[in-house]
Amino acid sequence: MPRIGVFICHCGHNIAATVDVEKVVQFARTLPNVVFSSHNLYSCSEEGLAAIRKGIEENKLDRVVVAACTPRTHEPLFRRNCERAGVNKYLFEFVNIREHCSWIHAKEPEAATKKAMNLVAMGVAKAALLQPQTEGESNVIPVALVIGGGIAGLAAASALVSQGIETHIVEKESALGGMLREVHVIGPDMVDSRTLIDEYVKALERSPKAHIHLSSKISDLSGFIGNFEATISDGRCDEKVKVGTIIVATGGRELVPASGEFGYGSLTNVITQLELERRLARGEIPKSAVFIQCVGCRQPGREFCSRICCNASIKNAIRMLRAEPDASVSLLHRDIMSYGTAAERAYREASERGVNFIRFGLDRPPVVRQDGNRLTVAVFDENLEQELRIDTDLVVLATPIVPVEDVKELAKLLKVPIDRHGFFLEAHVKLRPVEFATEGIFICGSARWPSSVSECIAQGLAAATKASIPIREGRVIIEPITAYSDPEKCIACGNCVLACPYEAIEIVLFDGKRKAKVNEAKCKGCGNCVAACHNDAMEQKGFDTRQLGAMIDALIKSALEVSQ
Amino acid sequence: MSDFNPTILAFCCNWCSYAGADLAGVSRLQMPPNVHVIRVMCSASVKPEYVFKALSQGIDGVLVLGCHIGDCHYLTGNHRTAKRFPLAQKILGEIGLDERRLRLDWVSAAEGEKFQQVITEFVAEIKKLGPNPLREVRP
Amino acid sequence: MNELGRRLAEIAFTELKADYLLTTSREHGNVGPVFASRDEDLGEVTFDVPYQLVKILSRIYPWIPQGKIAIVARRCDEKALNELIKRGLFDAARIVLIGLACDAEQIAKCRCSDPAPSRVHFGTPNKGVEFDELAVRLQSMSHEERLNYWIGQFRKCNKCFGCTTNCPVCFCDDCVLEERTYVAEKGIPPGLAFHLVRAFHMADKCVECGECERSCPGDIPLLTLRKTVLKDMKELFGFSPGDQNSVSPLLTTLEGEPLEGDDDVC
Repeated sequence: MPRIGVFICHCGHNIAATVDVEKVVQFARTLPNVVFSSHNLYSCSEEGLAAIRKGIEENKLDRVVVAACTPRTHEPLFRRNCERAGVNKYLFEFVNIREHCSWIHAKEPEAATKKAMNLVAMGVAKAALLQPQTEGESNVIPVALVIGGGIAGLAAASALVSQGIETHIVEKESALGGMLREVHVIGPDMVDSRTLIDEYVKALERSPKAHIHLSSKISDLSGFIGNFEATISDGRCDEKVKVGTIIVATGGRELVPASGEFGYGSLTNVITQLELERRLARGEIPKSAVFIQCVGCRQPGREFCSRICCNASIKNAIRMLRAEPDASVSLLHRDIMSYGTAAERAYREASERGVNFIRFGLDRPPVVRQDGNRLTVAVFDENLEQELRIDTDLVVLATPIVPVEDVKELAKLLKVPIDRHGFFLEAHVKLRPVEFATEGIFICGSARWPSSVSECIAQGLAAATKASIPIREGRVIIEPITAYSDPEKCIACGNCVLACPYEAIEIVLFDGKRKAKVNEAKCKGCGNCVAACHNDAMEQKGFDTRQLGAMIDALIKSALEVSQ
Repeated sequence: MSDFNPTILAFCCNWCSYAGADLAGVSRLQMPPNVHVIRVMCSASVKPEYVFKALSQGIDGVLVLGCHIGDCHYLTGNHRTAKRFPLAQKILGEIGLDERRLRLDWVSAAEGEKFQQVITEFVAEIKKLGPNPLREVRP
Repeated sequence: MNELGRRLAEIAFTELKADYLLTTSREHGNVGPVFASRDEDLGEVTFDVPYQLVKILSRIYPWIPQGKIAIVARRCDEKALNELIKRGLFDAARIVLIGLACDAEQIAKCRCSDPAPSRVHFGTPNKGVEFDELAVRLQSMSHEERLNYWIGQFRKCNKCFGCTTNCPVCFCDDCVLEERTYVAEKGIPPGLAFHLVRAFHMADKCVECGECERSCPGDIPLLTLRKTVLKDMKELFGFSPGDQNSVSPLLTTLEGEPLEGDDDVC
């Protein structure tokens, strides 16, 4: 027989001003299995906690119900307090009679008191059926995996390696550096990209902790935080590695314009930004150029802004004009995204050097035509409200960064979400950046969203810091709110397998029969499987169907029957 | 009918609607005292069986409040919630219980005011519908 | 065995190369299931009386570790098998269907809207009927009238569990309705929760075979209730049970994907 103790909190005036605490204490004593009930001025104070411990000891309580504020703040505190007094942490139930009662029914003290009694009855009914639990623990393999050797991946890997963490870097090309290798000069400070890449690469090559896999891809992946197994394939042989955490830094690629778009592919000297980079690196500075921004983005089908293209075009325009001051450069745009002081300075410099910034609208894109051995660009300037005609040697199309082609495969392997463009979705933009909802996997760089070099580096470092935490701690705590299936009842109908957002449930053979099995380390305790299960074979610790059923019965008894 | 005080059950998910309810409390937003909250981790763990049980035993109304679609802490948990409860409502209707005694809504952790609004509206609606006709049928 | 039996055996064992056959035959005036292997006497095979052979198959399947089983299946049986196969409860490769088309009389009794099996070996396919008289009457009632109607009907329920025992897609060994968690009442009649929970569990798998209604000693019009819920499923999700490839909409995301993601996901 459970021995429940109920402690009603005054919370100073916060609860006591509206709820008749003494009445609730008396009522609690009448509830089944309650052997002791009392009240505290401030249950969370040292005095209050000590009083609870005393109540437990003197009355040999084995379950504790505290009716006070919200469990979202103080549940851990009261749980630890129970543990101190020898009661399992999970034989504790928190009833909210402040945020959910006294504070919101301030003008109805009688009704609020009645509701508090109902809520306490529900809490007591649940407490009677609670089971002691132990927190699970899972080990963490002290190795990290970085998928992608571009600037974000390089920054992440270097940060990990400098902490002494063994790291595998898997890069699909034959050299590290990613898209940055094709961009020779990084704006707005005109940093040489080769130097930047080499700095990172040399640091990695020097370190015994770094394992660089070039011309390689991840062909298989399984496991969960602390215990992933990845297969690295280089086309000839496969290497299986066991890692604790994973960072995705697969970057993006420049969108190639559609054939014929602004004359691409059909007219000569209509090129993309990266093709311009190559020409500039070779010393081929054109005498004139027209940049067309937002080619293939900020339009239906691909509504996003790729953030870096304006600055890239401005940077290249400045490079051209520094080398060839008399060059004629126009930049056709729908907005200039030169955010931050340095980029804004560059915008100004470009303007001062004579770059012609012309705004056009989505509904009236510029038209590019061949004119002898030159090109003509006709554009309707929205500010002047005038059609302009520009003769030029070169048209540069600034296209967005889009995800790499095989991103869907990788997302499937990792079981992480991608949006409809193929960019990876992080857990929460503000509360959980650079990490996936799936624990142990992190995301940085343009794979997440088109990012500048400095943003990629910052994100890479952030991801590395987060990825190093489980490795440093050496273990992951599994809160005992996971689901489990009773093999006696389970029919293996597969409902739970389909309902689980984490693919944490499998049908396995148990004594020769098909049964559902929950992977405790993958289970996040959402309870979706419990709702999907027809015969309560699947239960969630701490939220057992019988416990919730008893809460409903208690409410009915307290609210409906007493009033008759 | 004017002195009918409904008894209403609400399931709130830890990450969104329960937090939204807490916020309403912290903001001292006043609302009728008829609703009793059961905390769950995710609205997707709420079994329609609980609703059928509650209503067949005399509870006047049941609220299921989860995170907005796309914001579920457990990725797509609330997608299943969004399917189960409209069906549960239809079944209630087929039996002759008013579907409006079951309401599914989305309240985020930042929406204290929405929580107040949902509670106030739902209590008013249940008052209009009257006591659960099954109160008398209970054995 | 009779001529029908001989023809049936020919199809099952020679044509379809099955190792076993499950069908119905008449013995001592009653119709019952027959499970036979090649060369066994099938007795007086008859298809006159609807009999839930898929349920019988579920019971004996765990005891037949190998071999192909031919089963005489009406359209509802075919759909029931699909529902069970997609849940892994049968291995599709081991089941072969001998299609039985129902006659107009049976179709009318079941108010069946979908009576033609994919492949017909016996009987001539007939058109279904869309009309369930009681369903139409219930539709036009007010909530109060409807509730009174069903309370009156369910008062007759004595928890014989005939409906669950004979239902082909009701597959739990331990039925949750036998517990006290949701059905609070110890005695009979059980409260409405019993019938509401059953209706919910059946919503995404009921094949309208009508066995529940035929089995009910209280003559509760369960088939009508099932049909109204199936109509709701169709309206809400565009979903009808009975297809091997469709996943229950209750278990998929809003976009219909069975796994993760808000937007388009892999």
